[in-house]
Amino acid sequence: MTIEQLNSSKVPVIVIDKKLEQFRDKILFPEKLEKANEILSKAGLPNRKK
Amino acid sequence: MNNPKYLYKSEDYFKIYEFVSEGKKGSVKKMVQFTETGTENVFNLAFGDYDEQTNSINDLRVTNNGDSLKVLATVASTVYAFIEKHPNAWVFATGSTNVRTRLYRMGITNNLVEIKEDFDVYGFTQEGIWEEFIV
Repeated sequence: MTIEQLNSSKVPVIVIDKKLEQFRDKILFPEKLEKANEILSKAGLPNRKK
Repeated sequence: MNNPKYLYKSEDYFKIYEFVSEGKKGSVKKMVQFTETGTENVFNLAFGDYDEQTNSINDLRVTNNGDSLKVLATVASTVYAFIEKHPNAWVFATGSTNVRTRLYRMGITNNLVEIKEDFDVYGFTQEGIWEEFIV
């Protein structure tokens, strides 16, 4: 990637921290996930126009 | 979005993010997680304060660090990073309280022109239907 591409990119430069891998298989927000699944099971996904 | 953001770290799958909120209450570690839901290719986005002593997350606590816009801009930025790795994913997000959901909705509305350059955004109404956010 060139400097110009980096400067104009909306994706930030991210530092990878292997210590965060410990959370990979953990559900940190179980209530939120349950709520999401509840809505999705009832309503599904929106119909995309495109 | 060109709003101020915190720098953050992630792991190889770009599903977990960590950053530190700095403000009048001091330094508060925040974590963001994109979790697979029961619907294929749909991920739930959530974030909250990380307590290192209990090794747990609290998404109900009002941090009151005076940087809520910067925190929201940071979380929004993680969506771009996540989608870079998972370009066909849907991202589902809601607040832990109605007040927070309204705050996030306002944030989306205020930045909608820019957001819609890259994403289709839908809101789930009280009538139980999906409606597209429109400019």
